[in-house]
Amino acid sequence: MANLYVKAVPPADLNRNTEWFVYPGVWTTYILILFFSWLLVLSLTSCSPGMAWTVVNLSHFLVTYHFFHWKKGTPFSEDQGIYNGLTWWEQMDNGKQLTRNRKFLTVVPVVLYLIASHTTDYQNPMLFLNTLAVIVLVVAKFPNMHKVRIFGINADK
Amino acid sequence: MEFLLSNLVNPALDWGLKVLDAPAVRAVIFGTSIGGHIFVDVLLLLVIIYLLSQKSYKPPKRPLTENEIDELCDEWVPEPLIPPITEEITHETPVLESAAGPHAIINGKEVVNFASANYLGLIGHEKLLDSCTSALEKYGVGSCGPRGFYGTIDVHLDCEARIAKFLGTPDSILYSYGLSTMFSAIPAFCKKGDIVVVDEGVHWGIQNGLQLSKGTIVNFKHNDMNSLQNTLERITAENKRAKKLRRYIVVEAIYQNSGQIAPLDEIVRLKEKYRFRVLLDESNSFGVLGRSGRGLTEYCGVPVEKIDIVTAAMGHALATEGGFCTGSARVIDHQRLSSSGYVFSASLPPYLASAAITAIDVLEENPGLLTKLKANVALLLKELSVVPGLLIASSPESPIVYLRLERSTGSMKDDQHLLEDIAARVLNEDSLLVVVSKRSKLDKCHLPVGIKFFVSAAHTESDLMKAADSLKRAASLVLKGC
Repeated sequence: MANLYVKAVPPADLNRNTEWFVYPGVWTTYILILFFSWLLVLSLTSCSPGMAWTVVNLSHFLVTYHFFHWKKGTPFSEDQGIYNGLTWWEQMDNGKQLTRNRKFLTVVPVVLYLIASHTTDYQNPMLFLNTLAVIVLVVAKFPNMHKVRIFGINADK
Repeated sequence: MEFLLSNLVNPALDWGLKVLDAPAVRAVIFGTSIGGHIFVDVLLLLVIIYLLSQKSYKPPKRPLTENEIDELCDEWVPEPLIPPITEEITHETPVLESAAGPHAIINGKEVVNFASANYLGLIGHEKLLDSCTSALEKYGVGSCGPRGFYGTIDVHLDCEARIAKFLGTPDSILYSYGLSTMFSAIPAFCKKGDIVVVDEGVHWGIQNGLQLSKGTIVNFKHNDMNSLQNTLERITAENKRAKKLRRYIVVEAIYQNSGQIAPLDEIVRLKEKYRFRVLLDESNSFGVLGRSGRGLTEYCGVPVEKIDIVTAAMGHALATEGGFCTGSARVIDHQRLSSSGYVFSASLPPYLASAAITAIDVLEENPGLLTKLKANVALLLKELSVVPGLLIASSPESPIVYLRLERSTGSMKDDQHLLEDIAARVLNEDSLLVVVSKRSKLDKCHLPVGIKFFVSAAHTESDLMKAADSLKRAASLVLKGC
């Protein structure tokens, strides 16, 4: 009589907006997208590899900043607006900090920065822009910054 | 001092130079020699390793301290469970003691009833009563479940088919409550992000539906086609994405809040020009307007297929209860699984559905009812054309005759008091029951308040004359000072 009921482990993430990040192969895809966009930039424009990495780094900054740290809420209505005040980053892994996925997403901009500034030989103005991008992205990802809106940036709504 | 400093700095420099000479430093990564970058590169690598070595945790929820709890308790001011009692609330409303036919008993006194939307005078009609009785004997009172859950009875299907056949649409769907028809049908189609252009004078049921839909709501001026055109133009011009969104125009056929008739031909022209869908509420026009009572589409000569979604309450002209929505087969089919009022509430009592079928039969067999209603409306309008201090605000053909103050006092509340005074006077002195528009706190309609006459085909000529006379007298008495 002991095992009448199935003991199921509840899924780690019930939020449809963020659960796709736990699918297998997401990391690989993410890295491949970055690599192929570098190849694309390199082949479409006649810039140096270092410039191409800078372009990739800066566009990665723009895209992820907008979608991870700026836009709040979810596109789905079933959650009845409980995530309306949270960005994608804050919704991720149900707000658990320093998880594997979060670490991955933090390491990516740092590595990108490393590659971009190394390959541009630490020359300005690329160095300045790359540094700015990595600082904003990494600061926004600090566990201490969870649900914190410094200087009231993006605090409305 | 200097010696100490150089003692510290020199070994570091030596070490740095040694590192730069190490064979690994000559390595080339990504086409660039690692050379002088090694410090920054190694530093960042260390940062990454440090980050990866951190343990994950859930941000703890800090419990409140004693002080904070006390502060919160002190700050809290409870809202009263009931609003403060004012004079208006203690005001006694008339109590109806009989069926709400053209003549009814209020507070023990027989009055002429202009407060029920019994347009065709079908309340208490023998055929309707018979059909109710036989349905009651056959099915009992309730249907005991939602439509999808043992609540569908043959009369529901017959009623849906009958309404669709009467209006010439492919299919229709029954709701169990007139008001819920609109606020279930609207959210079934309008979702978050959709653009809904709506008349500012729509009744509360529609307002509620729009709020539930979470769509982007844009108001246009009450029954003003120029304003509608400007609004549509503005939306399509300034929003490039508008073409990819679902877009709706929501209008009422006869506005319950003003008695005006919407110019459907013009709305259809605009909807086709700007490619919007039209949702039309025919609650007060179904069984009233048009040569055979098919509503606003027949009245304006617009083919019913051009209106995407038509909703109507059956509690008015049809004298039963519930509501229906009609349109193309796909529009109806969609609602059967995604309209909350249909899916989650118990279905219409079968006897009401059977009464609705009979009511439509009666309407088809007696076109005289419609001519009588039109004649009554025309007569009352003629008699009321010169009421001191009051203006007719409704359209000439509308069975809701709507009178508003000629000169508003400036506040809606004071206007309402004046009109209520008139209504109380005609009820007490001349046994005439009329209604003053009531706006709840939730109602966002800002049209001027007024006195409403719901004209019925069952009113006699003397009823109408009496009503007009007593209103004139009461209005001249009450509004003398204004």
